[in-house]
Amino acid sequence: MSAGDAPDLGKAIVEAVREASAEARLVGADEVVERLRARGFGECLDTEPEVDPCRRVEALLSGLPEIASLASLSGRAVYHDPALLSRTYARILDRKGVTALLMAEEIRANSRDYPRPVPVELFEAPPFDLAPEAIEAAFKAMAASEEFRDIAFTTTSQGTVYLFSSLHLERDYATFLAEQDETFSMNP
Amino acid sequence: MAASRGGFAGKVLRVDLSTGKIGVQDTIERYEAVLGGAGLGYRVLWDEVPAGTGPFDAANKLVFAAGALVGTSVPCNGRTTITTIFPTCWPRPLVGSGHMGGHFAAKLKYAGYDALIVEGKADRPVWLMIRDAKVEIRDAGHLWGSGIRRTTLELSQEMGPDCVVAAIGQAGESQAPMGMVINSVSHSAGGVGGVMGAKNLKAVAVQGSGAVRIAGDKAEWEKLVKFHLSILGANNQHVVPSFPTPQAEYYNPASRWVGQPGRRWGAAKPPVELTGDIHDLSRIVYRTNSAAFFLGEEAWKYTVRGNGCTACPIRCHTMLRVPSVTVKYGIPDMAQNTCIALQFGRMFFKGLMAGKGGEAAIEACMVGMHLADDMGVWSNYGQLQRDLRKLYEGGYLKARLGSKEYASIPWDKYDRNDPAFLLDLVPRIANRQGELGDVLSRGTGAIFDTWSIPESDWADDHSTTYWKMGHPKHHANEDDGQCGVIINTQYNRDAQCHSHTNFVRNGLPLAVQKKLATDIWGSPDALDAPGDYTPANPYKARRAKWSLMRKELHDALGVCNWMGPWVASPRWERGYAGDDSLESKFLSLATGRPMDREELDRAGERIFTLHRALTIRDMGQVDMRAGHDTVPPWVFEDAKGAAPFTKGTIRMDRADIGRAMDFFYEAMGWDTATGAPGKARYAALGLADVGEGLAAAGLVPQDGK
Repeated sequence: MSAGDAPDLGKAIVEAVREASAEARLVGADEVVERLRARGFGECLDTEPEVDPCRRVEALLSGLPEIASLASLSGRAVYHDPALLSRTYARILDRKGVTALLMAEEIRANSRDYPRPVPVELFEAPPFDLAPEAIEAAFKAMAASEEFRDIAFTTTSQGTVYLFSSLHLERDYATFLAEQDETFSMNP
Repeated sequence: MAASRGGFAGKVLRVDLSTGKIGVQDTIERYEAVLGGAGLGYRVLWDEVPAGTGPFDAANKLVFAAGALVGTSVPCNGRTTITTIFPTCWPRPLVGSGHMGGHFAAKLKYAGYDALIVEGKADRPVWLMIRDAKVEIRDAGHLWGSGIRRTTLELSQEMGPDCVVAAIGQAGESQAPMGMVINSVSHSAGGVGGVMGAKNLKAVAVQGSGAVRIAGDKAEWEKLVKFHLSILGANNQHVVPSFPTPQAEYYNPASRWVGQPGRRWGAAKPPVELTGDIHDLSRIVYRTNSAAFFLGEEAWKYTVRGNGCTACPIRCHTMLRVPSVTVKYGIPDMAQNTCIALQFGRMFFKGLMAGKGGEAAIEACMVGMHLADDMGVWSNYGQLQRDLRKLYEGGYLKARLGSKEYASIPWDKYDRNDPAFLLDLVPRIANRQGELGDVLSRGTGAIFDTWSIPESDWADDHSTTYWKMGHPKHHANEDDGQCGVIINTQYNRDAQCHSHTNFVRNGLPLAVQKKLATDIWGSPDALDAPGDYTPANPYKARRAKWSLMRKELHDALGVCNWMGPWVASPRWERGYAGDDSLESKFLSLATGRPMDREELDRAGERIFTLHRALTIRDMGQVDMRAGHDTVPPWVFEDAKGAAPFTKGTIRMDRADIGRAMDFFYEAMGWDTATGAPGKARYAALGLADVGEGLAAAGLVPQDGK
């Protein structure tokens, strides 16, 4: 690859990541390379055989301000365009295979940032799409693990279960916020 | 003059029903300083309706007013403000406005009028026909006794399908203070229907063939409209969706942005699936489904589409088709509305209040909409329903109603949460039938007066959400601490201000809200997390003032305060900022007269101060702080005994609220001892004549501030 090819390659890398982000998918450098080859950039990638194309793509990705990287649970870097695939959603996608962690981190982020507890039904709906049995199993796993000891629940007067992290919300406050959330429809 | 100014239609239509005289005035010459809408209404009442005038006196006037932005392409511009001596204000009627969306305001502008001032009283039932310059008072004998739907249909058939009809039902005809006027089938203004009825005015039907001229650069105008659309959220300017999505960094399960791709308007023919980019400006209509937000998942399958007001893409009046109600209750299977009016029927039943309510709640809502929107019965922001529940469950009715009347009411249906109960109750109210129907038709104050129930029975009880003067709280301390309390002290009816709540409930994380608050109000301390309130400070008072001024501006310009102001947005690339000067930019382009944000805010303050002056004049006392700006005891209590300023309580501290009011009065430039403006303040706002009039009556603070 000549220096003159870099802008085109960079542009193609951005397009490859955007294509995946538009499909709500995270991509690693290896998949970007595959997508580049499919776009006819194989020759360009192979001009310096001593350089692994993945490393080269990773190096180029690190210099693209419009593309964000995420340290995946798998340990590798994955990429997305935050304009098409938000950081929040990217994290959800990355954690989808690890239910307890997925739920715990989502609960923690909500408790920390907004702050608010979340109704348990949140996890039954897209993009989580967890079956009640899976949610229950995750709760049991969390209860047995020191890692998740901050994850707690409160039940409103109407019987809805809300989840919160005690690292960020006191129980009484979480209970208040849950009651308030549930009665918004009566306070229009 | 009018011809050189855009935005305004240029004329105000006056109709004297006593004499039959119909005339016009120049809008700019007389009312430009108060813009239009509520400002124009207040000015008419100040100039022309003497203190002590009763709401149903012929001397009371009814001012239907649009604003300079109505009928343009500004999003959310469909508001009509109807200002009058408001009949449910207790213990004495005072100035107030009812607000309705729909298409009446735009039609009035297209017919050539910024406002319609109705004076006097007809000697027989009439309706008002407005077809551009042709205005006639016509006989309404054949319509009297009809519901709003039939009236709308008959007048539409007579005038043509492009007319808009604003009509009263049986409640208005019977001069019920709780009567409302409705245009475009579902867009209501509460409390003013009885005033129409007292004037024997059944309806106003408007047809307009004109347009609203934009005086400024057209390309700039179009660019600004597109920008405005780009910073719109969903209903109530909730700027994040309720669901996680690749297209948004933030989400909030309590957001009214419920239109997730994949959802379906299941009762549309054929059903419509919500698709595409949630930020697509041509799909804003998909974001809001009021029925799904208020009533839960089941509502999607009954949804036909969203309906709404002129130039508004939000479409918050969700149209529902529920076939079962025709079979069960003999009513049409279609209805549409939003918020409290959507839930009019459900809210009577304690057993249907839990959660979203499901199918039973949906049916109760359908029955409620059918009755209330046809007979024209207002809910007073749900106070009617809370009143009935407290009266029944507290044993007041059994003790006070005659046994025969009590036995005639189908309480068994009420106890079973059977919506058929409403088929009995609502006509009683609309027709003022029996003691119960009559008392409820007159509003909460009538409950205190008629049955010698102390106001404190309501004001001490948080479950009533009663605030003062016959009306409930409207987004008070439960939403916004001291800011909400201040706002709820200021009006003679429920506050109806959404500037503050639209911001605190917008769904953004607290840190982002605080960043925006710093930019707009000067400090992150202008805002607290809900239920984690800190002591009062000047920045909260500044935000309360800003919220009130923007509400008044919106009511004067004809844009929707249920959606605005637009100071937050869904736009990540803008740091979620909206635009605090949007209103002044639009008005400048519309009129061709440049006006910056500060100048327009001063106009809002002028309008709000005029409302204050009218209240002082008609109460005949200057000490608003003690006599008007009151806070109910429940605000200073907590069911679990939590102290103020502890996390998880909305309990306020009396001394702190006193300081909050001090900060607010100082921000307004009012006397802190009385909460009243001085002569100098009136003069500084261009209301010198008002200040002098009040001074002559001894109704300005003694130190003359």
